[in-house]
Amino acid sequence: MEENRKMICSKCNVALEPARAYFSYLNHSFHTDVLRCPECGQPFIPEELVKDRMAKVEMSLEDK
Amino acid sequence: MENIERLKDRIKTCCLEKEDPYCVPSCPFNLDVREFISRLQRGSFNLAYRLYSNAVGFPFIVSELCGAPCEAECVRRNAGGAVALNLLERACVDYSSNTNPNSYNLPAKDNKIAIIGAGISGLACALRLANKKYSVSIYERSSQIGGRLWSLMPSEFFLRDIERQFMYEKYDLCLNTEITDLDEILENFDACYVATGQYGDSFRLLSADTVSKVPLASNTNGVFLGGSLCGAGPAEAAAHGLKAAGIIDAYVKTGNMKGPQPVSGTKIKIDSSVLEKTGGKGVVVPSFNGRYTKDEATEEAKRCIKCRCDSCAKHCGLMEYFGKMPKRIEEEVHVTINPGTLDGNGTVATRFISTCNQCGLCKEVCPEEIDVGMFLRLSHNMMRDKNAMPWAFHEFWLRDLEHANSEESSFCYIPGDHTSGGFLFFPGCQLGASDPAYVINSYRFLLGEMPNTSLLLMCCGAPAVWSGDHKLYDDICRKITEKWTELGSPVVVFACSSCRKFFEESMPYIKSVSLYEIMLQHGIECDEVCEAGEVSVFDPCSARGYPESREAVRSLLRKTGYEVRPLPYEGRTAQCCSWGGQISIANPKYTEWLINKRIHDGDLPYIVHCSNCRDIFAAAGKPVRHILDVIFGKKGWNNKPPTLSGRRRNREKLRMYLAQEFCDEKEPHGGEEKKKLTMSWAVEEKLDREKILEDDVIDVINHCESSGRSVFDPLTGHRFGYHMTGHMTCWVEYTKEADGYRLFNAYAHRMKIELEEVWNGRKQKNDMQ
Repeated sequence: MEENRKMICSKCNVALEPARAYFSYLNHSFHTDVLRCPECGQPFIPEELVKDRMAKVEMSLEDK
Repeated sequence: MENIERLKDRIKTCCLEKEDPYCVPSCPFNLDVREFISRLQRGSFNLAYRLYSNAVGFPFIVSELCGAPCEAECVRRNAGGAVALNLLERACVDYSSNTNPNSYNLPAKDNKIAIIGAGISGLACALRLANKKYSVSIYERSSQIGGRLWSLMPSEFFLRDIERQFMYEKYDLCLNTEITDLDEILENFDACYVATGQYGDSFRLLSADTVSKVPLASNTNGVFLGGSLCGAGPAEAAAHGLKAAGIIDAYVKTGNMKGPQPVSGTKIKIDSSVLEKTGGKGVVVPSFNGRYTKDEATEEAKRCIKCRCDSCAKHCGLMEYFGKMPKRIEEEVHVTINPGTLDGNGTVATRFISTCNQCGLCKEVCPEEIDVGMFLRLSHNMMRDKNAMPWAFHEFWLRDLEHANSEESSFCYIPGDHTSGGFLFFPGCQLGASDPAYVINSYRFLLGEMPNTSLLLMCCGAPAVWSGDHKLYDDICRKITEKWTELGSPVVVFACSSCRKFFEESMPYIKSVSLYEIMLQHGIECDEVCEAGEVSVFDPCSARGYPESREAVRSLLRKTGYEVRPLPYEGRTAQCCSWGGQISIANPKYTEWLINKRIHDGDLPYIVHCSNCRDIFAAAGKPVRHILDVIFGKKGWNNKPPTLSGRRRNREKLRMYLAQEFCDEKEPHGGEEKKKLTMSWAVEEKLDREKILEDDVIDVINHCESSGRSVFDPLTGHRFGYHMTGHMTCWVEYTKEADGYRLFNAYAHRMKIELEEVWNGRKQKNDMQ
């Protein structure tokens, strides 16, 4: 459901599109595709991603 | 302050965890009795036999010869009788369904070893060397093997065992061959074991010096002596042979005649309560022919307490949960602090270090008083200094400390012009956060009894200690000392024993007393009298060193009509409720396990004298009251604790109340009006569970509104936006309402969104914030 979710950037008033976003934690960097505003780059990270994949990566880096 | 190197050294050299049980040093074979018994306890006779056979070489023979010297050392000898190990040895031999030896497919070795004497000692040595695929030749003067065994047991019995054990091995047996000249042997062999029996030829190599040493290296290179030639009994002679084989193996490889130092006693110490728990049950008597049935053997094995020095692991939740004992902890922490790779992989104990409650029970129960908790605390400091401890484990609590010591929450009041001596009430930052009335009512009481009592509301710095930030902690101690000096060096009255413990540890010049002792001494009028009933007092772990305070709480309780029943862990052995070390972010699962254990320590409702114990147990559904609830007749048994956001509001309310009552302060301090935030109870609970503060949510919304940076869902009209609070990135889902905002959801992650990287130069970092 989240994959097809339509979100609009409040500032640019255009629909968000999947685009690459970079993250960092504990001196490590990684990237993944998330919904972003094609104009200003504002990202949207749904809770599902935070609780699942992101949490797993966070935990594995803490225990590395 | 302890030194980490000293603590490491204490764990390495003084910890008795790996010491043998009392019985093992007296066993000529050093049988691993604990493992042997474990296998018998679960009825695994085959596995017990395998272990026994590996230790003694000829299990059938040795089980009959063994004089069980271990029984004289057994700690149960005065508690129902020593464990009947010899009968258990025989039972494992009787009931093992596979008594054949293992066949080892190893390449043959070139080295040749001569054994002089085919008695039990020579045969045992030959067996082990043949197992290792040496070329073994046995020389026997007589026409038969077995030596003294012929006079001790039926020949078919011992010959069958010898045949069985050698069934996969090759060796040369030269009967009717008397060796008279060792030089000849040494010319043709790499080493030689002389086991010529009680009155046999020692080739003039036997001296008082060699007799005292077992296994027996002679003064001639490559020649070893053992067995009854050296005065050993039959079972011991077999053990000599096995040990000599090990030394010959090492000699052939290294040229060193000295084998490992023989086991000399054990330093083990065990908790006497373990023996008391056995109830002194007597030795199981064999029902038939002096030998155990399977069930009898298992029952007798269960009498063995498998002596081990493991008090720390038995009492400490951390060691129990992770199944790790001090030596392993020390090793893992060492490699975590000093990782072997440049990118710091293999730091296996990072989370573990942050999971210790720092309660000090490990030191309390250790017979050597080894302080593993302090070792972990100092390790935590080192990890933090190296920036190797994930900030996420403690950032929330460090921000909480910051809030407690902020202008909105901290407060100091000096009644009248008292600036010398007297008392200072230091309630700590969590008592008022739990309920402002605890602090207000206690202070009113103190002022009534001792008018020269000042008040200082702030955090003692415990979260800084627990996070490893010793620099921040030193800074807080300096501020507290300055304030205390300014107030005329008063005696500090503590409601929280954690604050008191940290004061005593870091500011030993400050005299202290507990609030409850003063309440008892001055005879406080309890609002609640005679709600008779049985309760247990759950002592906070930090009150371990304050017996008067603990007793005062019990006396106050009895005065109100309660009957106090003991808990398994209280007083000096009090265990942590889970708050200590603020471990819940680093290890939520362990925290949950620990709380569940604590609330089931006793069936009766708990009375506590630490507000953190109260709030944690109340949240877990345990009927619990703070002693101040009883004294002031406040909350009942099932009072829910405030949320984390509620705790901050309570601190601010408390400060405001005190400022208004005592200082006539009219305006609320730091007066910026916060926007109204509404949410369902489910969202409120979620925020609390995930440690997202309402203050943080408001910060994020304010950021979204002021920067215009958010996205919205056209289906629901909800806005989504994020902002960083500290290192944490917090997302909110909200709508704007006439007088504020409605929150629908919030969640947070530890990863940082690297915006400037992402947008490949299409936007600048500043555009995105």
